[in-house]
Amino acid sequence: MEMGSGNGVLQREQSIYNSLDESFEIQKEMYRGQQYSQIYFARLHLMRTLLNSLLPTWKPHLSGCAVLGLEKGKECIIVGTLYKHMKLKPSILDEYSKERSASPLVQPHNFMHSDDYLVLEDESGRVMLRGDHLLPSVCVTGMVVALHGKETGAGDFLVEDILEAGLPHQIELPLDHGEDKFVVFISGLSIGSSSANPLHFQLFVDHITGHLGDEKEQGIAAQIVQVVIAGNSVEFSRGIFNGQNLGSKDQSRLSEPIKELDILLTQIAAGIPLDIMPGATDPANFALPQQPLHRCLFPGSAAYNTFRSCTNPHSFELDNVRFLGTSGQNIDDLAKYSDAENKLEFLERTLRWRHLAPTAPNTLGCYPFTDRDPFFIEKCPHVYFVGNQDKYETSLMKGSDGQVVRLICIPRFAETGTAVMLNLRNLECYALSFGTQFGS
Amino acid sequence: MASSDMKGFFRQKKKSGISKPKSSKKSSKPKHSASCGSDIVQPPALVSHGSLDLQDEYDGKEEVLRQFDMNMAYGPCLGMSRLERWERANALGLHPPKEVENLLRTGKVNTECLWDGRV
Repeated sequence: MEMGSGNGVLQREQSIYNSLDESFEIQKEMYRGQQYSQIYFARLHLMRTLLNSLLPTWKPHLSGCAVLGLEKGKECIIVGTLYKHMKLKPSILDEYSKERSASPLVQPHNFMHSDDYLVLEDESGRVMLRGDHLLPSVCVTGMVVALHGKETGAGDFLVEDILEAGLPHQIELPLDHGEDKFVVFISGLSIGSSSANPLHFQLFVDHITGHLGDEKEQGIAAQIVQVVIAGNSVEFSRGIFNGQNLGSKDQSRLSEPIKELDILLTQIAAGIPLDIMPGATDPANFALPQQPLHRCLFPGSAAYNTFRSCTNPHSFELDNVRFLGTSGQNIDDLAKYSDAENKLEFLERTLRWRHLAPTAPNTLGCYPFTDRDPFFIEKCPHVYFVGNQDKYETSLMKGSDGQVVRLICIPRFAETGTAVMLNLRNLECYALSFGTQFGS
Repeated sequence: MASSDMKGFFRQKKKSGISKPKSSKKSSKPKHSASCGSDIVQPPALVSHGSLDLQDEYDGKEEVLRQFDMNMAYGPCLGMSRLERWERANALGLHPPKEVENLLRTGKVNTECLWDGRV
């Protein structure tokens, strides 16, 4: 940390930023009426090539075969996309069904049922999966795995072992330079909603821009090199969207949250590099990958070159430390269709499956790519974050090849008043909480 | 409707009825060849785009391209032009046949896949 000699002026640390969002941008894509079969094919091919290269080390005595080429009783390996048949998954056809069967009440937050079963599919065919090794509660539709087992008499496939793609290769973390540099993550500001307290965010902005505290506090704030806002920065009141044309009064009410956000972001952008990602409630497109929020929404902050509007998912490098993260839609979707102890486990699973959003396009909106799958994780990040979660959670995940990944669940700021600070030097993570309640 | 005269049922004959400019339709008119034989047994569903299914230009080149369309190793064929699908297959390292590429780039063949406009 540099201190200006004599006059006590603190200099903010700086980092070299490199954006890796190119694969998430869809400006060059042209929609020609293609269906989602194309992206599934691209995903299957990409991951099957990868899994086939791992087969010799996994089961050297066996080779892969197509689903249609299975022979009864013969041990073999099949590679394909998993499909999970879920009884409770909402289907548009339910509206048209004539019988009102006494189906169990659908819980809105999770559609799992003990009767769910898995099916493996490749270009040639599908086969139902049996066995205790592959739990339907853990898997979701859209993940690509290699399975070792044999076909049973009933025509199902009895699974004996599973191979996931595993963590990709990771470039080693740059050497410890001895200087602490911090990245601040915040998400779920929800400006415009009734639960957001503007004081909390103003306190946050004042703290990180160094307008608060004594020299020691300001010194800590001077070490912040990047702010990442991971989605859901605004929330529009749904009441005005009732299918009628908006009157001018409603229209001006609609733009208030964004204007308020812009004022606050200008304060941040004036001093620190800022990345803002779109979320589920932001004025961006619905399908993943969400495109950057338009610059015209931020007339004040976009004037600064420190302001960067980014895609969701967002990938970037800061001083050669690789970051990858989303605004939460992918993990929330996994939570609806599978089970885990906590959100960090979902993060781990997506890394091990080497795919950011396996449920896209099945239950998660997604652009119908034809020749690539941008959610495939090519290089292992050092920091993997997800925004808009219930609470702050973090862990350090270790891979089989020596990869080390810091997993971060960023809580919703409007509800918890908590942001996350990450030390670039050693990947240590801290919670930064703000409160304006003075308890009795 | 009980009339068995298909030609009377469908007033889509080019010579009479609705006059549409022919040139605008020519480039996008798909080549239907689902039936061989007379059009009396033509099921109504297959008649589209203002013309009856005719067995036209279904030659050896088209056959090669259809086999390329149907080959599952290169992925689904719907929603992409044939050349795009070939290029995707090439980019993914699947070694699609060179012959198909030559036909698509130089020959006067249908650029869209077999099912284009019919599904």
